Amino acid sequence: MRNPIRKAVDVAAVFLVAIYLAPIYWISLTSIKPMNEINSKEPVWIFEPTMEHYVQAFERFEFGKALLNSSIIVFSATFITMILALIAAYALSRMKMRGADVLSLFILSLRFMPAVVIAMPYYLMFLKAGLIDSHIGMIIVYVGYGLPFAVWIMRGFLKDLPKEIEEAARLDGLGWLSIIRRIILPLSGPGIAVTAIFTFVFNWNEYLFALYLTQANAVTLPIQIAKMVDAYTVLWGTISASVVMQLVPMVVVVFLLQRHMIRGLALGAVK
Amino acid sequence: MTVSLKQLRKTFADGTDAVKSIDLDIEQGEFITLLGPSGCGKTTTLRLIAGLEEPTSGEIYINGRQVNDVDPGDRDIAMVFQSYALYPHMTALQNMTLNLTVSGLPKEEANKKALEVARTLGLENLLDKKPGKLSGGQRQRVALGRAMVRDPVCYLMDEPLSNLDLKLRELMRTELKRIHKKDKVTTVYVTHDQAEALILSDRVTVMNEGQIQQVGDPIEIYGNPANEFVAEFIGSPSINLIKADVTEDGLSAAGHLVSKRIISASNGIVTLGVRPEDVVLNDGQSDGLQGTIEFTEPQGGVAHAYVKLEHSEKVLKNREYLVVNIDVHESVKIGTTVGIQFRDDRINCFDSQTGLSIKPEK
Repeated sequence: MRNPIRKAVDVAAVFLVAIYLAPIYWISLTSIKPMNEINSKEPVWIFEPTMEHYVQAFERFEFGKALLNSSIIVFSATFITMILALIAAYALSRMKMRGADVLSLFILSLRFMPAVVIAMPYYLMFLKAGLIDSHIGMIIVYVGYGLPFAVWIMRGFLKDLPKEIEEAARLDGLGWLSIIRRIILPLSGPGIAVTAIFTFVFNWNEYLFALYLTQANAVTLPIQIAKMVDAYTVLWGTISASVVMQLVPMVVVVFLLQRHMIRGLALGAVK
Repeated sequence: MTVSLKQLRKTFADGTDAVKSIDLDIEQGEFITLLGPSGCGKTTTLRLIAGLEEPTSGEIYINGRQVNDVDPGDRDIAMVFQSYALYPHMTALQNMTLNLTVSGLPKEEANKKALEVARTLGLENLLDKKPGKLSGGQRQRVALGRAMVRDPVCYLMDEPLSNLDLKLRELMRTELKRIHKKDKVTTVYVTHDQAEALILSDRVTVMNEGQIQQVGDPIEIYGNPANEFVAEFIGSPSINLIKADVTEDGLSAAGHLVSKRIISASNGIVTLGVRPEDVVLNDGQSDGLQGTIEFTEPQGGVAHAYVKLEHSEKVLKNREYLVVNIDVHESVKIGTTVGIQFRDDRINCFDSQTGLSIKPEK
């Protein structure tokens, strides 16, 4: 017989998952509901599905352009963040450096600031540098804002890797960069996956910086979706369709990376 | 000379003096052990030779070339780590060939070389396995293979057998001895296990507190220790250290003459080092040192008898009982009073203040 406590935990888990998934289910349903049924007083469960909201998102609100902008900015920013974070975290975790612990906490503390505090200075700087409403500008902001957190998480993972493996690699004639590329990188799969997921999801959903620093050319998805609400109407169907489409790349990225999140890859290296 | 250390020192950032000015010359083809208790500086010395630590001062020569500023990978040495340090994402073959391919050897040739080494180690069927799928002993062999395949001028081994169980350790010890006998590659071996050191080495270097206490072949280290520390560290059970007075007739302990050696000591007191096998028990009828057998510890072929001496605390320096080797078949009654004699030619004498060995005048 199963333990009743275990059973209660299972039920609670199912309940929790249901609470989390309910909005996603509802928004997916709304995205294919005809307009009049979205606006009906009673919730409608059975209806004729329609793709009109998806079409409208692309035709009326340039969803395709925003999707492309978001993809260029977020994938580039995440990629650059990961490379810089790996190198910085490796240095902080391995090289004998006075005050490495204090320095990493200081780096993380940059993230304690509310985003709005630095959004304004960014705006003024970017105005002078001609980076307002540009992909490069947004990539710089996301790399700068995401890096402290990424370095901090990666450092924790890298500190757990046995030092002897790197020493063996040094004796095998590998230089620092080769050690990172051939030894550290393959062994840091779980750390890289977790950090990349956090960085990607944050950047993909980021609203405030994009609101301040983009206008037309580099508008990202969250900003574009917000434009679907105006003073007179809220296009629930189009918003829902856009949100569903915005979710897809995130789900794909998380799905692709999560298989690397298995622990114990380093098993067998020592002892 | 394969490896030469000249006044080598290592002080860590926290101020710890791990290695305090050591000089050591290691001959071509020699198997030399660095032996000592934890924290004695043996591993640091090995890591200095490997280039994994930078010396604070002093010089390191490998094959006549000063290597202080040479990268570990360019020192022509191979190291076997205590934890094996295999690359977990690579197969046994890739682990073994990484160095060869990095140094520019074509993959086929590297694989061929690795296969040859794998054959001598009985690894040929495990080459496509990753370390996670190998047992402790197999991992150890791969680590050894990784070192051997490089054909270095010197192997550095940092307690390579300490993670194995007793049976496997003995097996690998024999294997190491066989490989060394065949290839005659200079080997510097770090261990805290004296049995391992005595069995494997051509010469043993006993270290303590960052300094070399004695360098010598295993028989010399065991039979003629340079000081009390070496005497006590080598041998299991450890040597009996006995406080003795210098008299005109020889050396006496608790008023009984125990040795006819004539020795001069500044303060008239010396410490005698007597191995358990160099103590002879008799029926206790004659005048001499006496004691009572309190208990015995059978160890297979021999047993150790623990003898409580009269005024033990005044006579024995390092413990409560005098330990004596006896034949396990000898019937010894617990509680029996026995007479004690030492084999005079095997006794070691140490200065009671400096602990250094004193040679008898006659």
